[in-house]
Amino acid sequence: MTNYLIRRVVLVFVMAVVISLASFVLLYSAPGGPLEQLAALQSTTRRPDPDEVERIMKRYDLDLNMMVRYLRWLVGHPRGPIVINGQEYFGDLQVGCLKEGQARLVYPDGRVVEINCAKPVFLRDLAGRPVSNGVLALDFGRSQQLAREQPVAELIESRLGNTLLLMGLSTFLAIALSIPIGIYSAVKQYSRFDYFFTTVTFFGSGMPTLFTGVMGILIFALLFQRLGLPYLPSGLAVSNRDEVVPLIGTIKAGSLLDRIWHLVLPVSVLTFFSLAGWTRFIRSSMLEVLRQDYVRTARAKGLAEQFVILKHALRNALIPFVTLLASVLPTLFGGAIITESVFNWPGIGRLFINALTASDYPVAIAYVLISTFLTLIGFLLSDVLYTVVDPRIRLT
Amino acid sequence: MATTSVSLPAKATPAALKTRSESQWAIVLRRFRRHRMAMISLAILLVIFIASLLAPVLAPFPRDAVGLAPRFSPPLTVHEGKLHVLGTDHVGRDFFTRLLYAARITLSVSFFVATLATLIGMALGALAGYFKGTVDSIVMRALEFMASIPDFPILLIIASILVTDPELLPIPRFVLDFLGTLMLLSPVGNERAQVVVIIVVLTVFGWTGAARLMRGMVLSVRERDFIEAARALGASDAWIILRHVVPNAFPPLVVSYTLSLAGALTAETALSFLGIGITDPTPTWGNMLQFATNFMLVNPWVPLIPGLPVVFASLAFNFIGDGLRDALDPRLKM
Repeated sequence: MTNYLIRRVVLVFVMAVVISLASFVLLYSAPGGPLEQLAALQSTTRRPDPDEVERIMKRYDLDLNMMVRYLRWLVGHPRGPIVINGQEYFGDLQVGCLKEGQARLVYPDGRVVEINCAKPVFLRDLAGRPVSNGVLALDFGRSQQLAREQPVAELIESRLGNTLLLMGLSTFLAIALSIPIGIYSAVKQYSRFDYFFTTVTFFGSGMPTLFTGVMGILIFALLFQRLGLPYLPSGLAVSNRDEVVPLIGTIKAGSLLDRIWHLVLPVSVLTFFSLAGWTRFIRSSMLEVLRQDYVRTARAKGLAEQFVILKHALRNALIPFVTLLASVLPTLFGGAIITESVFNWPGIGRLFINALTASDYPVAIAYVLISTFLTLIGFLLSDVLYTVVDPRIRLT
Repeated sequence: MATTSVSLPAKATPAALKTRSESQWAIVLRRFRRHRMAMISLAILLVIFIASLLAPVLAPFPRDAVGLAPRFSPPLTVHEGKLHVLGTDHVGRDFFTRLLYAARITLSVSFFVATLATLIGMALGALAGYFKGTVDSIVMRALEFMASIPDFPILLIIASILVTDPELLPIPRFVLDFLGTLMLLSPVGNERAQVVVIIVVLTVFGWTGAARLMRGMVLSVRERDFIEAARALGASDAWIILRHVVPNAFPPLVVSYTLSLAGALTAETALSFLGIGITDPTPTWGNMLQFATNFMLVNPWVPLIPGLPVVFASLAFNFIGDGLRDALDPRLKM
């Protein structure tokens, strides 16, 4: 177990470094990124203004070495020479180059060095230059396109509540419904109930959420409104103005009722989709357990059927369910990208898509980094929980 | 008299033999034909497939011709003596025409993604399971890596970068030409490169399922006695893998292939819908649906035109997978 945990944590660490490096490279080389801004500036018909170019290079740290740039992005350091007791160290260390060319450096101690750089940048020059606190401290820099200069963390925070609400509610409902349906389907295998739900779940997992969402809007929002029935909103999390809905009455914009009213459709679509997969999962897991010898023994002892199923069988059937945690954790944060897009839900998934279509890579990369981290944690957690609930499993 | 009594059994014997000795595939076919939904699905897919194959013949208008009739003309509109079977879209292009071409593109993309991903997965899974050791641990690490990243967001971000700038991915000319001709794409602009980018990205993220399945199958098959026998007879590793291991691991792979066709179709549709996959004017069901939903508050019938084919095709692949599962191995039945 200890061995396994150490290996797993090392893997998480390696993955984090790999993903962060990849994200960093993407961030700077992606179309629409700072490099492209610079190229656009340099290729304008008017003579490129050297001050302007240097300003942009300094603004995005483009004058620094790759390694220094990465460190500043990751942990927010170095920020200048190291000062110990008023004494500066490494101030002369060259960390980048503002302008290509040749230069001679004459050090105070008389050394003369030829370098391939017309305007070198030294560690000393970094003092006072604005820098983020680093991605590790959850400082993802500022948004470049969607909300200019707004910190990415703030942008994400403002959407987090909506996504947690949507995902939390639908995950809870899916679990609460799939366990009883799965058990009942398995216990009464081939009954009418079983056939009905097997068919429903088959459709649920076969139909893209994209289409279920669109159909939901078409029927419950548009058709119902035209027919004069109590209809549901077609998108967003709150209305812009008060709505009068038949049989329900006036729904005040921004009230609790308004929020619930907007949640119904997206939550149903998401619940339907997860319900489909999870019910099948529990049903087949339960069917397998019900065939085990110890269940027959329990029945032979004369235990009540209810007791056999809920105490003996269910506990073991739910063990594989723990692995679902691995997939739930990142989606709770990340939201359902497609469903949020269909319903114009102002959550994080939609923020991600907006960021991608607007080429706002700091926002997009923050999303990917956080999801990756949560996925890794989810896996670790589900593996550890597995050993807790099932002592037969030993991680090596 | 004597001659007839001899000839009768002679005639009857082959017939009697035929009914008794059904080949393995005949049994599968017979079982598959009993699955009603799978047969209906097969018929629906055949219709879509043939229609997309005959797209240039069936399509009444050029693919991207705009302003043919007023925007959002309802189905069966006759404008200037020409019939628009499914009406027109937001810039007055003929929906039926675009649906046909889109079917061709969407189905081809799904086919290539599913096929390439399954082949790559099969090859890697077979090698890993058969040789164990270093090969296995490399493949397993790769699988572990793929499993522990949030694949959909990463797929989206890579696709969005490559789609805006397809030159980042070096694509051989003949691939562009071949796929361009197959999907009737125009050689100007980066229409063809976009399609290739989507195929590549979806394949890169899609091979793991087949690899895991194949590895598991190979691990169990390779311990059987007949493999031992083949090796004792001097068969090479390549021969054993191709002639003995792969065919035995085949049934679940066929099922997973069908399901990955559905998966690729929904993934491509989702990408195009989100505006990150194949973009307008290249028609796909996904990007047609995107425009349709933008205007659906006023024209509620529009999303159904590209939406229904997506659902029919996706469900059809699922049903066929289900039918094949029952037909190939009744023990696998859910």
